[in-house]
Amino acid sequence: MPSPTLASAGACVELRARYLSAQRTGDRRAALRVVEDGLGQGVSVNALQLEVIQAAQHEIGRLWQENRISIAQEHMATAISHMALAHLYDEAERAPENHKRVLVACVQGELHDFPARLVADALDLAGFDVRYLGADVPTPNLIDMLLQEPPDLLALSATMHFNFPSLQSAVLRIRERVGRSLPIMVGGAALTAASSGSAQPLAIDGTAANAPEMVARARQLLGLAS
Amino acid sequence: MSAELAQRWNEQSRELALTCDARGVIVEQDARAARILHSRVGSSLRELIVPGSEAKLDALLAQAGSGAVDGWELALIAFGKPATLSICACPGDSDRIHLYALVLPDDYGETVRHLNEAMSEVLSLHREISRQKKELESANTRLTAAYRDLDESNKGVLSLHAELADKADTLRRTAEVKGRMIANVSHEFRTPLHTILGLSKLLLDASDGPLTEEQRTQVRFIRTSAEELTSLVNDMLDLSKAESGKAVLRPERFTATALFASLRGQLRPLAPSANAVELRFEEPAADIHFDTDQGKVAQILRNLVSNALKFTERGEVAVTVQVQHGQAEFRVRDTGIGIGSQHFDTIFEEFGQIEGPMQARVKGTGLGLPLSRKLAELLGGTLLVDSAPGEGSTFTLTVPLCHPEVRELTTLESRPIDPSKAPVLVVEDDRKTIFIYEKYLAMAGFQVVPARNVEDAHRLLEKVHPAAIVLDIMLEGESSWTFLSQVKQSPRTKDIPVLVVTVTNKEQKARALGADEFWLKPVDQDRLLRKLRSIAKPGMTAKVLVIDDDSKARYLMRKYLEHGPYQLLEASDGLTGIRCAREERPHVILLDFLLQEMTAFDVLDDLKGDPRTRGIPVVIITSQLLDASDRQRLAAETEAILSKDSLSRELAINRIRDALQKAGVGKPTQQVSGAPDHG
Repeated sequence: MPSPTLASAGACVELRARYLSAQRTGDRRAALRVVEDGLGQGVSVNALQLEVIQAAQHEIGRLWQENRISIAQEHMATAISHMALAHLYDEAERAPENHKRVLVACVQGELHDFPARLVADALDLAGFDVRYLGADVPTPNLIDMLLQEPPDLLALSATMHFNFPSLQSAVLRIRERVGRSLPIMVGGAALTAASSGSAQPLAIDGTAANAPEMVARARQLLGLAS
Repeated sequence: MSAELAQRWNEQSRELALTCDARGVIVEQDARAARILHSRVGSSLRELIVPGSEAKLDALLAQAGSGAVDGWELALIAFGKPATLSICACPGDSDRIHLYALVLPDDYGETVRHLNEAMSEVLSLHREISRQKKELESANTRLTAAYRDLDESNKGVLSLHAELADKADTLRRTAEVKGRMIANVSHEFRTPLHTILGLSKLLLDASDGPLTEEQRTQVRFIRTSAEELTSLVNDMLDLSKAESGKAVLRPERFTATALFASLRGQLRPLAPSANAVELRFEEPAADIHFDTDQGKVAQILRNLVSNALKFTERGEVAVTVQVQHGQAEFRVRDTGIGIGSQHFDTIFEEFGQIEGPMQARVKGTGLGLPLSRKLAELLGGTLLVDSAPGEGSTFTLTVPLCHPEVRELTTLESRPIDPSKAPVLVVEDDRKTIFIYEKYLAMAGFQVVPARNVEDAHRLLEKVHPAAIVLDIMLEGESSWTFLSQVKQSPRTKDIPVLVVTVTNKEQKARALGADEFWLKPVDQDRLLRKLRSIAKPGMTAKVLVIDDDSKARYLMRKYLEHGPYQLLEASDGLTGIRCAREERPHVILLDFLLQEMTAFDVLDDLKGDPRTRGIPVVIITSQLLDASDRQRLAAETEAILSKDSLSRELAINRIRDALQKAGVGKPTQQVSGAPDHG
């Protein structure tokens, strides 16, 4: 992925500030206008997803943490970001189909589906055939689905560190029931929080710190030219 | 407030108050706190925290230690499940913190969660639609590109097609040249061959002195070779004619008996009685009548029989014929060496003879069977073989009893004149050309009345008054010019437009003899139709002249005939009627018996006395009872006598139709029943 140019990085800072203020005032239209302006200035879809929307979401989390916004405001801000992602998906150019099926899901108990959504969109726009299951997918349901329609790759997301055990157990049970051959990728903040711990290593095929990394790893795992 | 009520409020309350130390250990709490949080003094708030909110609890404790905090949202386990509490806090003595909290109703949270889920689903759907839209767009782009490609390849195909057409044209020309060359070469061969045959005959006849036996043998060899070459040349000539479609069909009527009789005579020399092979013609039980080209049927049978005799060493060759489904099936069956089924196709190919000792011994041109099959096709029939080696062969020639072209022409000739169509007399000796005229003119509302020769044309003109005549001047040399001048001189026919069509430019002569149009062949069909239309409207109506001094009677007749294919001419007195009849030449005249100044007899005398009006049928209409002598006299000169009392629309039309039919216009009609005739 090309690194954003300095000009683009500057543009992103400005766009993020505008976007965040739109989120905080609950102004959907203003938020979408920021995205449109970004596209108009030639900022890439990728940069808008990561540097503007995802960064703003991190800021919203921090503001909640500091009790500077309420839970209601946080929900509203997140809803706006979901819309912005959908809008960007519309505008983005989709790579030709590569005929690889990817299942994207949040582990059981994980309610934060924004990072998973980002990854799903990135994979989809890269030409993967993405099935997005969203937040809090009960592990038995996930296993049923994997058995019924085996994908070429499973991408699991866990954000909150307390969901790490849920991730562990999900991977364990999937390996038991579905087998060793299904490639599993894992992403999310829970992973970084848990990496310092002495938890036994997950039986997975790769991790990614962000959506572009996830796409690159997925290509690698499935033997696709990047 | 009573203690009871106070206790009740306490039990219902979603508020609580407690005091904890800087680390969050509860040092004091009210009853509501114990009830809501299930906490006890000495336990830590950390134990109550919902995972993920630990940092926020720390922040609260840190901030509340130094100053009042309001509306701090914190997720704790309340009533045994995660809930959001809104907390006010302020610092107390000895690093203690006083907390006052309100449990926010959990259904708000639930609602938000549901809404989030719903939104997530909507957005997933949105992506699905967006993706499909993109796919459609890219499919559209691909299709546009494919269309462009197709368009280009279509152009390629078109040019390829044109190239093919060129090639086909070249091939056709080559084939034509080949055919012409064969025909010419064959002709050139024939003359010297005839000389050789003639001279060798003279030598053998010893007219110029005797030959030695050795010389005779040599001359006989020369003669046999020349005969074989002659038959090869003849076959080649016939075949090239049949292939180029130039073979002329000469249909005639003949019977199977007569055909067999002549064949027997011709073929007897090939199977001398001393031979071990018997040639038999089996006469059919009932004689069969043909109307096709006898010469060609005979040629095919001769060929088959002579082949059969060549390849049969003993036994017999039998020729039979029977009728099956309107077709004659001739069979030539032999007891000869037979043919393997793998050779069935080869033997019908030119020079496609089979290798074998017998075949090598027997001489043939290699053209007999292909020519026979071509001729069979020309007759509208087929030639098939059935055989097995050692079991003899059977060749079956199937031909229609009546040649299709003959049948078609007979149909054309024998059909009645359709009053709704304008008849066009086509004088043309070529059947195919007649069919072409028929094809074009029938669609345009004309009826072709075919005449194959001038005699037919004269005969037909007696019966039919055509709207136009199309005359092919090549027909029988001078006689067609004579026909033209006769048509133009006869008062009965001189007003019929004649279109002269010919291959030689004799326009001056044609015009001098009275031709209305002169065209060189080939005739352009559009031009022909335009011309004919300008002469006679298709669906020409029959002209009916009513001579009656009673305007009411004329009105009545007009009403009777107004929707039929009739053009009504009216005359209110006899003299006008006669003049009108001469000028307009109606197809039929309806004459009132009693006119004011003339009788019907006077009018009839005038009409019958003039060649221009003599042929026009007259129907008498009367309101009077006629006496027997009048009736007798009228009946001799008119078509019908109708009584005005019993006159009806149907009757009038029936009589007019009959009269038209008699005049050669129109077809027989069913009688409309009801009113009486002639009385």
